[in-house]
Amino acid sequence: MRILLIEDEDLLREQLVTVITDAGFIVETASDGKQGLFQGEEYPFDLAVVDLGLPELSGIEVIQGWRSKGKDFPVLILTARGQWQEKVEGLEAGADDYMVKPFSQEELLARIRALLRRAAGWTQSQLQCGDIELDITSQAVSLAGKSVEMTAFEYRILEYLMLNSGKVISKTELTEHIYHQDFDRDSNVIEVLVGRLRKKIDPGNEIKPIETLRGRGYRFILPRAV
Amino acid sequence: MSLSRRLLVAVSAVLFVFLGLTGLVLDRAFQSNAEQAQRDRLQSQIYALLATADFIEIDQRLQLGDALPEPRLGSPLSGLYAVIYKNNKVRVWKSPSSVGLSIPRYIQAKRAQWFFERLATKNGQQYFSLNFSVVWEDHFKKQFEYVFQVLEDYDVYNQQVSSFRHELWGWLAAVAVILLLAQGFILRWSLKPLRKVASDIEAVKAGTTDRLKENYPEEIQGLTEGINTFIDSERAQRDRYRRTLADLAHSLKTPLAVLKAGLHNQGQNNVMDDQIDRMRDIVDYQLQRASSAGRTTMGVHTELLPVIERIVSSLRKVHADKNIKCTVKVDSELKFPGEQGDLMELVGNLLENAYKWACQEISVNARLENNNRLLQITVEDDGAGIPDNRKQEVLLRGRRADETVAGHGIGLSIVQEIVSQYGGSIQLDDSPLGGASIGLSIPLE
Repeated sequence: MRILLIEDEDLLREQLVTVITDAGFIVETASDGKQGLFQGEEYPFDLAVVDLGLPELSGIEVIQGWRSKGKDFPVLILTARGQWQEKVEGLEAGADDYMVKPFSQEELLARIRALLRRAAGWTQSQLQCGDIELDITSQAVSLAGKSVEMTAFEYRILEYLMLNSGKVISKTELTEHIYHQDFDRDSNVIEVLVGRLRKKIDPGNEIKPIETLRGRGYRFILPRAV
Repeated sequence: MSLSRRLLVAVSAVLFVFLGLTGLVLDRAFQSNAEQAQRDRLQSQIYALLATADFIEIDQRLQLGDALPEPRLGSPLSGLYAVIYKNNKVRVWKSPSSVGLSIPRYIQAKRAQWFFERLATKNGQQYFSLNFSVVWEDHFKKQFEYVFQVLEDYDVYNQQVSSFRHELWGWLAAVAVILLLAQGFILRWSLKPLRKVASDIEAVKAGTTDRLKENYPEEIQGLTEGINTFIDSERAQRDRYRRTLADLAHSLKTPLAVLKAGLHNQGQNNVMDDQIDRMRDIVDYQLQRASSAGRTTMGVHTELLPVIERIVSSLRKVHADKNIKCTVKVDSELKFPGEQGDLMELVGNLLENAYKWACQEISVNARLENNNRLLQITVEDDGAGIPDNRKQEVLLRGRRADETVAGHGIGLSIVQEIVSQYGGSIQLDDSPLGGASIGLSIPLE
């Protein structure tokens, strides 16, 4: 999951990058509104965390800019002023949730996860499809009640495919959402990772949860339980 | 003394003096005119008498014709009388009209000159008198002087003058009444813009309009523009103040956020974490307290329903997962007696708590109470509610930052602070929905 963080306070931005990266997300950053607007428009993101008091362009203008260009990823706003006027304006501009500074790490991560899940149409943090269950809070995967060990990249691929279950996800899209922008994109790596993932969640090769559509990408086909 | 009364008194005084003087001048002019006419009339009577008079040399006496030139001279007490004296001494003739009357004798007479005067008898009867002295010569150059005196009752003249006066003052009074009415009307009409300014200022105070309109007469435009500038600058100043405080909050809380984020990277530290939260609450509470506008002199009013709807739809978006049904029962006429920023803080904090705690249902209610003098806003939810022993603590958070109440944020104490700046009160109760019911009573005057 790729997250765009726009925050002008350098120290806070660096700390948040650590926090969010540690939680298993990929973070790209911008330190002013103009740069942030550009990145959000040009690159694929699953979510953006935007401080409202930004230089160059205000957070509200950045969100309005994205929304007017049809970018519909969820946006979490950070406000230091904490005034309702500002919160309401931010939400009306197209943000989906707000947090008032200072906030705890746990709360920030919980809000990020909730927004990602909500954007994909899931109502709970346990994503269940058939026998496969993925808890996005604890980042644990289980198959028929038994826990499955995974590497970070395998987990990210499964999380992305399950969140978007039913949709065709191209290799490029998958790469973009689980790797940093500057990663050398080699589609063979994705194929290898998906192959290993299949063996872990479908050891008997019976349920075939991940379908390959030649030339188009992958699709997670097990129906959602909830 | 009111402006219109001053004008009314001053203009009325001027009007009465002017009309009074006009009356006096006209009266004088008429009197002298009437006297002149009287004299002319008497003169023509004398000429007429002279025309009939004939000096008879043999008898050395004056002979008047049988027919009198003026019938009034023949009828008794007609008011017109004539007398002829010889050599300034002896009365040689008097008109039949003067039978039984004592006619006052002229006072002065010079040859071939007219004398006009007013004479009075002992019993007070007054006359205008004109005399003319004529000299006849006989063959021996002997001169005989005769004085012709004609008199007319003062009454005639008096009647003329008094009927003129009657008419004159009657008309002047009518003119005065018409002018006074016109003046009253003009006063009302020309002071109308001032009354409009007064009622517009009332409207601004009551919050029905933002500022005075532009279409005033140029004389008071300076005043109304001044008032508008004052209203604008008051608002601008408040906005600036608020922005400054918000910036201060921003610059205080960003370092707090850095500190808090730093904690994560060095492992949990509960003491520091709590202290940072305390600092955040103090900053929030004190800055909100300072920036809340409270009641302003130029009464700003904010429509209640749009603000509540904006906040509800914002929070509905944030809590989309919870599928909460929020019922808003607020009359669209209702207005909050203060600035939008304050109202947003009140409603925002109450609804944020409600959304946080509610299971399925929230209700927002606003109505007027106490003969429309109190605005009552109530927010209820079906959550866990606030236990009785916690109700006081919840309100004190932020003010007494020595303890923290788990579960409820700083929101309620901020709400209480703002409400008290409006002279209102907050009530914490249990809702029939099952959770908390928070009521705000805000006096409207």
